[in-house]
Amino acid sequence: MTESYLLTLLVFSPLLGIILLCFMSPKHHSIKWIGTLSTLLPLLLTIIVFSLFERGIEGVQLQQSHTWFELMTSISPNEPYIISFELGVTGLSVLFLFLTALITFLASFTAHRMKDGLKGFFIIFLALELGILGVFSSENLFLFFLFFEITLVSTFLLLGRWGGFHKERAAFSFLIYNGIGSVLLLVVIITLFVELRTTNITELTLMLKDTDSLEYLSYDARMWLLVLLVVAFGTKLPIVPLHSWMVRVHVEAPIAVVMIHAGVLLKIGAYGLIRFGGGFFPEQLQDMAVVLAILGLINLLYGAFIAFVQTELRALLAYSSISHMGIVLLGLASFNSAGVQGAIFQTISHGLIAALLFLLIGVIVDRFGTTRLDELGGVASQTPLFAGFFLAAGLASLGLPGMSGFISEFLAFLGVFKAMPVIGAIGVIGIILTAVYILRAVLAVTFGERRPSFDRKADLTATELVSSSVLLIMIIWIGVYPAILTSTLGTIGIGG
Amino acid sequence: MGYVWLIPVLPLLSFLIILFTRPVIYKKAGIVGTLFSGAAFVGSLIVLFSHFQEGNYLVEANWLSIDAITLTVGFEVNPLNALMLVIVTLVSFLVHMYSIGYMEDDERIATFFAYLGLFTFSMTALVMSPNLLQIYFFWELVGVCSFLLVGFYFYKPEAKAAAKKAFIVTRIGDVGLLVAIFLLYWQAGTLELDGIFSAAESGAITPTMITIIAILIFVGAVGKSGQFPLHTWLPDAMEGPTPVSALIHAATMVAAGVYLVAVMFPLFLASEAAMTTVAITGGVTAIFAATIALVQNDIKRILAYSTISQLGYMMLALGTAGYTAAVFHLTTHAFFKALLFLAAGSVIHAAHEQNILKLGGLGKKLKGTALLFLLGSLALSGFPLFSGFFSKDEILASAFSDERYILFGLALFTAFLTSFYMFRLYFLVFAGEGKGGAKESPRTMLIPMAVLAVLAVFSGFIQTHWFGTFLGDWLETTPYPVIFSSVEAPLWIPILASALSIGGIALAWLMYVKQSVPHNWLYGSIKEVHQVLDRKYYIDEIYQGVFVKGLFVFSYFWSYFDRFIVEGTAAAMRGVVTQLGKTGVKVQSGQVQTYGAVAFSGLVIVLLVIAALGGYFQ
Repeated sequence: MTESYLLTLLVFSPLLGIILLCFMSPKHHSIKWIGTLSTLLPLLLTIIVFSLFERGIEGVQLQQSHTWFELMTSISPNEPYIISFELGVTGLSVLFLFLTALITFLASFTAHRMKDGLKGFFIIFLALELGILGVFSSENLFLFFLFFEITLVSTFLLLGRWGGFHKERAAFSFLIYNGIGSVLLLVVIITLFVELRTTNITELTLMLKDTDSLEYLSYDARMWLLVLLVVAFGTKLPIVPLHSWMVRVHVEAPIAVVMIHAGVLLKIGAYGLIRFGGGFFPEQLQDMAVVLAILGLINLLYGAFIAFVQTELRALLAYSSISHMGIVLLGLASFNSAGVQGAIFQTISHGLIAALLFLLIGVIVDRFGTTRLDELGGVASQTPLFAGFFLAAGLASLGLPGMSGFISEFLAFLGVFKAMPVIGAIGVIGIILTAVYILRAVLAVTFGERRPSFDRKADLTATELVSSSVLLIMIIWIGVYPAILTSTLGTIGIGG
Repeated sequence: MGYVWLIPVLPLLSFLIILFTRPVIYKKAGIVGTLFSGAAFVGSLIVLFSHFQEGNYLVEANWLSIDAITLTVGFEVNPLNALMLVIVTLVSFLVHMYSIGYMEDDERIATFFAYLGLFTFSMTALVMSPNLLQIYFFWELVGVCSFLLVGFYFYKPEAKAAAKKAFIVTRIGDVGLLVAIFLLYWQAGTLELDGIFSAAESGAITPTMITIIAILIFVGAVGKSGQFPLHTWLPDAMEGPTPVSALIHAATMVAAGVYLVAVMFPLFLASEAAMTTVAITGGVTAIFAATIALVQNDIKRILAYSTISQLGYMMLALGTAGYTAAVFHLTTHAFFKALLFLAAGSVIHAAHEQNILKLGGLGKKLKGTALLFLLGSLALSGFPLFSGFFSKDEILASAFSDERYILFGLALFTAFLTSFYMFRLYFLVFAGEGKGGAKESPRTMLIPMAVLAVLAVFSGFIQTHWFGTFLGDWLETTPYPVIFSSVEAPLWIPILASALSIGGIALAWLMYVKQSVPHNWLYGSIKEVHQVLDRKYYIDEIYQGVFVKGLFVFSYFWSYFDRFIVEGTAAAMRGVVTQLGKTGVKVQSGQVQTYGAVAFSGLVIVLLVIAALGGYFQ
């Protein structure tokens, strides 16, 4: 069956481009197009995966499994620890795979503007995509971890080599935080492996549900493991106060990388929390729901307040992301189907919206040479198309009905109001604040008096127009017809 | 009536067509938009007449289901909806036609008509919604259209500020509505109107909860309908093109708050506290805004404060159980206020001036406009037999029969103030000697105004206690449990109201035409009062000083906290790690090596864990 190798094919499809690029001269003029074409292949494959994925069926699909290696230990010589190469997708990961491939493809175009080191850039860029695709298709924790590390190394290299003025500091900061996060993750994985002798995700979920497993892992031990998971994935999400690295990445990384970073990479945090935190330790997660909700509330408001006084667009959007991820936490913490679905909707919706916003910020950087709000303004006169898209993206971000952000926030808050009405009532302040800071930012760029220095700046090119339209259409599509997501997601069993 | 959905689709098509063909279509956008909105109006008329014959209609379908949660979409035709559809599409059609002339010289005319189409789509869809989520959905969309059109002259700093303010202040109200929706869902298990009302009736929702929810819904209405204390955005919204002020900020969108309370009326009826809140807010807003209108000098701002005041009247009617009175005044107000704005637009178009002190004598040059403006002013002032006379009378009767005598007194006094400020405006602009040249507006602008003028004069006869209470009788066929209080007002109320109306006109005449009463007596005698009114009770200054400044201070605090405390801690930890890396591994400085250090320490921890747990196994 070819089908069963489909995921392997998908995950390693960026390798083709990597190999091709390795053999090309760095000066070759077609490098950028080879790079972009290489991201088209995974996109086509995810579309196939998406179409083969059967909706409305519970559990993991398109599975494949091979024993990878065995560990003999002196502890139990007769029973080797087996680590398998296992891939598979759920409704949640299928959506993330598609999001990854789409955003990477669109982001590759923005990299065409880069001047130096395109060959190296695209090689690492494709490695990053490989890592993310792997993360979302892994059915085994070791494999997950491996791919997760690939994303770390490649982001680090992309940031440190092609970043902005303070790239070294940003890369260093990224490394410290994410390094610590992955160590914690590894501790959890190793513990589970040692105790339950498997790292298969579905098996682990089932075993941990079984009451017999309490023999191996006490309630307290599980709680500790969950706390480690929350810190590990919370760094990625990020949860305040573990966020300063992420603001730096937003500000310093090349636009193509920020698109992927804000669009998909950060979502690994939410994915991990839902898949592992909620999957393995539902009981413990429910018991710490109030803590999660308060953390979410802090994220939501803290990010919004600070975003309000930012004077630089990228930093502003970084804090905006922090604020929006607060809604993910709130939805998860509500522990009912509305809230959890809202959280998932929000991760996908925010992925699309953040990618669109940063794509447009790429245009700002290219045309106007600055992302400082006080140096921008009035560009609607010269670049009306850009201004229209930027405004639309802003409206999507502030949760306008008819766009994906609204239904996400609506469901998340609906869930919160059932579980914790007081926290919900405080949280809705965030909805007002979002409007305040988003409008401030968008209007500061597009509205206002015409600036003669911006005359003769080109409006969106055809590529930019198509890229932005694709993202905007998907945002509106989800906003108008959200059942498109629920049919793929099925029921996410978190907390039952 | 299965084709009702076409009514919002037509203006949506207009929006899409104009949006995608903007450079090509350019000035023809006006014709396209007018045709589509005209078709929507014809459709609404058909729906109205089919409702007379076939009665109510409701269609629903699933929108989103998650486990036990089901959210539906649909559309509905009942008396209130059908009436709103006709009002919205008619005013929209007329404003489209008017704008062909008014916006002729604007190079972004196509964008303007695209926005108008989007607004008409959202507004018609809003008034057809049979559930609260859908109402909220389009409630926000009309808000965005308002925002886009207020900020249409985006290069003007005032327009930018006004657009932002309009969006944010109404959003504060919207959040109230949103919270009400969340609470209602978990209380009633549905967001469909009939489900909500039956849950409320059956006692499934506690009385306290009903009061909380009703007041939260009202908070949304306060924001949208510019009621005190969320009224500050509406006068500033006059930065938008004048046809927009007529359509959105007078006739339709700002009335959505009144419409919302009317839709949710059965819920309000169940809570005495909520009704009182609505009544007091309405009554206070009515007189509050009318007093400000007395001393303003910008023609559009006077009309804006007048709109706030009249919307206050409608809220007062609702709060005193006068459902029919509120809907009636909503209808007549839509016609005469749209007329007044369009006529004001005609003045601005001709004279390029908005300050009434700098205008004057235009009655001779703009004969048509002057006559139309006069008819609108008479209707608004409640001059006997004009439409506003009948609808205002209903409201006064409602307040009186509900035994809210203080509010009734305020409303009476407001009626006097209204006719005074309107005729101050009228006489200053049209009477006296001319100042500067002006040319009468083209026919595409005059015809829509003439249509509205006919309605402003005669539409009062749909509901009178002399000829018949057609509107009230028809509204009673609503499918929802609305209680209709049919009160016959004592005869002295209309007589007194007429006297006050004529008195206001007379006073304005004495002051500004005959000039036998000094027109600056307020400024001359009690300067402080004039000052307070002129500065609109300093509300903007208070909000600026308290909320805006407060938000800045608070945000800067957290921003510095983030920069120094959070990052500082992180930097300290980074220092520790760096030291560990340097001393422990003794490698050259560099990031990749540090990564190695981190990975190495990770590996050590892993081994320790294995060792520890492995020991446990044995």
